[in-house]
Amino acid sequence: MWRDASTWAAEALAVFAKEWRCEFRTRYALNTLGLFAFTTLVVVSVSLGPVGVSTSRGTAVLPVLLWVILLFSAAAGLPRAFVQEEETQTATALRLAATPSALFCGKLLYGLTLTFALEILVTPVFVAMTSLDVKSPGLLAAVLAAGGFGLAAGSTLVAAIIAQARSKGTLFSVMAFPVLLPLLLIAVELSRGAVAGDPAGVALLQLLLYDASVTVAGFMLFPVVWNP
Amino acid sequence: MEPLKKLLAGLLWLWMSAVIAGAFLYAPLARGFIGQSSRILFFHVPMAWVSFVAFIAAGIWSLRFLYGGRQPRHDRAAAAAVELGLTFGVLATVTGALWARVMWGAYWNWDPRQTSIVVALLFYGAYLALRSSLEDRDQRARLSAAYAVLGLVVAPFLFFIMPRIMFSLHPQSVINAQGKVEMEPRMVQVLLAGSAGATALFFWIHNLQCRLAALLERNSAPLE
Repeated sequence: MWRDASTWAAEALAVFAKEWRCEFRTRYALNTLGLFAFTTLVVVSVSLGPVGVSTSRGTAVLPVLLWVILLFSAAAGLPRAFVQEEETQTATALRLAATPSALFCGKLLYGLTLTFALEILVTPVFVAMTSLDVKSPGLLAAVLAAGGFGLAAGSTLVAAIIAQARSKGTLFSVMAFPVLLPLLLIAVELSRGAVAGDPAGVALLQLLLYDASVTVAGFMLFPVVWNP
Repeated sequence: MEPLKKLLAGLLWLWMSAVIAGAFLYAPLARGFIGQSSRILFFHVPMAWVSFVAFIAAGIWSLRFLYGGRQPRHDRAAAAAVELGLTFGVLATVTGALWARVMWGAYWNWDPRQTSIVVALLFYGAYLALRSSLEDRDQRARLSAAYAVLGLVVAPFLFFIMPRIMFSLHPQSVINAQGKVEMEPRMVQVLLAGSAGATALFFWIHNLQCRLAALLERNSAPLE
């Protein structure tokens, strides 16, 4: 049994390593995602004007803008993990090489690292550019971690579904956003609380519950999505 | 078999007519509502209920498709349920918005109930978009079923968890948090009769849709 578990983990890690190796060959996701996030950041910051928004308004508005930037940047980069496999016709080889759940785990890890990298890049710049005063940075970091996890888990599963369809790009947004909206609403509420310095309360648990449900659903549904 | 079906359809027609008459003539007005606005309840609640039933049913049919032998009839049943759920959902949203204009002064204000139904409509709209962008029948059935099951997983967050962290003006459900029925008995009678009738109407149309889809599929199947 331990042997099975270790081959499974080795498969998942191999997929994860393969994703990043392919990524560093072209640096497509890193470049586009980074630039996309930076462009939207600049658009938001420029539109707010040189003075920015007042503290009271900023508490209400800025967390929303941060999550909108993160959501759309993730939507620009995450679906590629599966779309590329179908486009370069490597999906069949991958079906033969790895167990579906290990493959999903590897892809999920790749999505997670990509999302966390994005958050680590975007959030400090966003906070600096909008001169946002965060009262409890620890809570904000926790919300970003939990929210980023849900974002990656939901997007990875939806990406696996749309990769086999036509009109992939638009379909991803149409299909992923209703799934991610509950997460977004809870994360925005929590981020507002973190900026204002309120305690986290039960909403953080709800966010973790969402992460857990979507991850379990992902592991459960991925085999039927992946294998024809 | 045929006369029995006709009889049942006739009974349903009579039943729904009685519900409509009862909503206007038999049930009293609820206290604390402007004018006659509380009467929309007898149409709004059954529609919202039916769309909820339809989406849950679509999820169950999708589960049965995925894990119960991949039978095409389960896929057709799920797709038909989503189409009907969307229709009833739009009707519930519109009746709700009309009532909100009278009571709250605006058609739309992102009350948690309004948010959750809009996200549900977006989700099942996306389900239909996914179906229309997949050509292969088996692939379409498999992927859309997986998406519908994902909907079952996300739905509790929309319907039960989100309304709790946000402030809502929406009147309480028939059975509220205290588990008490705080409604005039005659109103409850009409409301339950309307919900039962609408549910029967849903399953009747659903049955017709499934049979139609089966015929269309048989006609358009390639010659082998």
